[in-house]
Amino acid sequence: MEVETSDVIVGVMMLIFGLVGLTLASGAADDEMYVFGLSLVGFAAIFGGGLIKRHFDKVEARLRGEHHHV
Amino acid sequence: MFIRHETIEKNAFLMLILTLLVISIGGIVEVIPLFTIETTVEHVTGVRPYTPLESRGRDIYVREGCYTCHSQMIRALRDEVERYGHYSIAAESMYDHPFQWGSKRIGPDLARVGGKYSNDWHYAHLINAQSVVPESLMPHYAFLADTRLDLDDLTKRLKAQRAVGVPYTDEQIANAQADARTQTDTNADQKALLKRYPKAVAVGTGGTITEMDALIAYLQVLGTMVDFADPANENLRQ
Amino acid sequence: MSDVVYRKPVQYNDAVVKKFVIATMFWGVVAFLVGVVIASQLAWPSLNLGLSFTNFGRLRPVHTSGAIFAFGGSALFGTSFYIVQRTCRARLFGGEAMANFIFWGYQFFIVMAALSYVMGYSQGQEYAEPEWHLDLWLTVVWVCYGIVFIGTVMMREEPHIYVANWFFMAFILTIAVLHLGNNLAMPVSLFTAKSYNVASGVQNAMIQWWYGHNAVGFFLTAGFLGMMYYFIPKASGRPVYSYRISIVHFWSLVFMYIWAGPHHLHWTALPDWTQTLGMAFSIMLWMPSWGGMINGIMTLSGAWDKLRTDPGLRFSVTAVGFYGMATFEGPVMSIRDVNALSHYTDWGIGHVHSGALGWVAFITFGALYYLIPVLWKREGLYSTKLASWHFWIATLGIVFYITSMWVAGIMQGLMWRAYDAFGFLQYSFSESVNAVHPYYVIRMLGGVLFLSGMLIMVYNMIMTVRSPSTARRAAVPADIAMAGV
Repeated sequence: MEVETSDVIVGVMMLIFGLVGLTLASGAADDEMYVFGLSLVGFAAIFGGGLIKRHFDKVEARLRGEHHHV
Repeated sequence: MFIRHETIEKNAFLMLILTLLVISIGGIVEVIPLFTIETTVEHVTGVRPYTPLESRGRDIYVREGCYTCHSQMIRALRDEVERYGHYSIAAESMYDHPFQWGSKRIGPDLARVGGKYSNDWHYAHLINAQSVVPESLMPHYAFLADTRLDLDDLTKRLKAQRAVGVPYTDEQIANAQADARTQTDTNADQKALLKRYPKAVAVGTGGTITEMDALIAYLQVLGTMVDFADPANENLRQ
Repeated sequence: MSDVVYRKPVQYNDAVVKKFVIATMFWGVVAFLVGVVIASQLAWPSLNLGLSFTNFGRLRPVHTSGAIFAFGGSALFGTSFYIVQRTCRARLFGGEAMANFIFWGYQFFIVMAALSYVMGYSQGQEYAEPEWHLDLWLTVVWVCYGIVFIGTVMMREEPHIYVANWFFMAFILTIAVLHLGNNLAMPVSLFTAKSYNVASGVQNAMIQWWYGHNAVGFFLTAGFLGMMYYFIPKASGRPVYSYRISIVHFWSLVFMYIWAGPHHLHWTALPDWTQTLGMAFSIMLWMPSWGGMINGIMTLSGAWDKLRTDPGLRFSVTAVGFYGMATFEGPVMSIRDVNALSHYTDWGIGHVHSGALGWVAFITFGALYYLIPVLWKREGLYSTKLASWHFWIATLGIVFYITSMWVAGIMQGLMWRAYDAFGFLQYSFSESVNAVHPYYVIRMLGGVLFLSGMLIMVYNMIMTVRSPSTARRAAVPADIAMAGV
């Protein structure tokens, strides 16, 4: 099954946010920036993971659906 | 030519462009001239950038959300002038990034609180406002007296303000740390500090510099920079 | 051979709408609860606890941002996504992943902003407290929102753009402009949250209230008018009263609101010409506002009986009534001489809450009572009786709130300007603080009532969702059911 364009765009965004978060957290000069940076990494990782999971859920559901027909 | 509204309704792009045009006019007319009309900010003597310590005090004032209860804007109304002092002029907040005029007086206006009370009064009042003013609704800020003032990024903070238009000189930025220390020690020689920043009020007696010291230094300078009795300022050009 | 085109029924993305609906209720409870807490702190200051993160100054932005951006914002995202799909007969543009990002990205913004306030990071400008890095994050989310919403409008199957969408588009566009204009700031460094606004003093004040008043005008008014223009006709089963009023209402409202900001700065160091412009446009705003009110209320002609049976519609119509009241009070308060008395007092707080509780929250409640059975495919509400209780408790709460603030505000204004027989100021400031204490207690009770109503609604909604679905009876093809999730 092909990958949706929306998934790719959002996936790339998560990659960028994750890197920005890492940079901010590692260089943080105050508590707020540290917490924000780490949270951003967490956000990007969890959301990115969700994207991958939903993609394969769909693939599996479709495969199951095809088996029913056969 | 009369354009039917139907045309706009059927074209999202046209509708967005027209909306953008319509919402831009008011903002442009009201905001841009304030930067270009020279008389918007009066020409007065005395207004100077905050000392490094006052500036840090101001950061704490913003941080604690003091503006949610205190205004710093005496309106040109008889009772306000009698209660708080000369009405505020635009020049007095020309170096305030951000402005802190406020919009609600749960507590009194602070635009001219500087010099009205002693350092000790402010200290006691910030620790426990009700011990000085029983009716007060103010929270206790004792934790400021226990928190060491972070001076590590002092020059960065002054430089950031210079980048947005506060005229800190190289000399002022170079002496930032020293000036902060001098202002927190009433026993120290204040001459160099006062030359750079007239009317700065020294607080504390040396030792650890706390956030409380910075906040009090800020409160003590509020509204004192312009001398309204000075004949040079008599014709406030507006 | 034939021109007949087979059209597959549009499968709307309701999953993201459901998420926003749940978030709206959650943040409503949080925002009202924090409101009750800070109202109690003003009545009994020892409740500040003397800790940095529990003091009024840091919690107040949590309440205001919570009510406006978390509760109101989630409601706007959710309803606008619901409405745009139906009125354009198009599935949400940009795919599921983008819609999900908008939801979670916005929730992330809310949580990080609230956290930063209690940690002591604030730009120090009302309703624009989040620091620069959070502003940038919100910009990203907002651009995605704009692309998805406007993209859906562009992909529409209907030739006309429905009036609700005019308001939503103006809201999205203007909030973007205001957000960028007011939050231009110089960070201390790239790794420091603290920043200094680019503008200072009088210019900063003008830009702030250009932003601040239009956060009211476009976030809390234009967006929610979009809700009004969809849910009132839908729930009453009547078309919008006047198409012509809609057009005049829309263009005059978006044109005039932008000018009204300076009424927050009467008698200050802002030049007189700007104050006068602000006052003039604020008074003129009365007309388009009431035009909108009339258009909303008159839509019920011939369907007034539905108010007896449909508690959701009752909320919506009462909201429009409060909208009319607040948009009359606003122009009155913007008159310079009234403002001399009302500004800096609790009258302003009362005015804001008649808009926020009466208009914004009530129109949202109306939309939620309509949406939840529809979205979860339930027969109807679990209990219309509980919805009625919610309505009357919340209304009573608003009455407590705004009447106590009127009395307190006018009392403060009069005490501050009172002179004794010798020509001296009659009262010290602290005497005025003492005098309003009872009204602060009443205000807090009003807030408790409003919060209780909200909790009743949450219970009612949970029970509605847990009731048996009507959808199970109809056989739903697997791929359609899946696309809905």
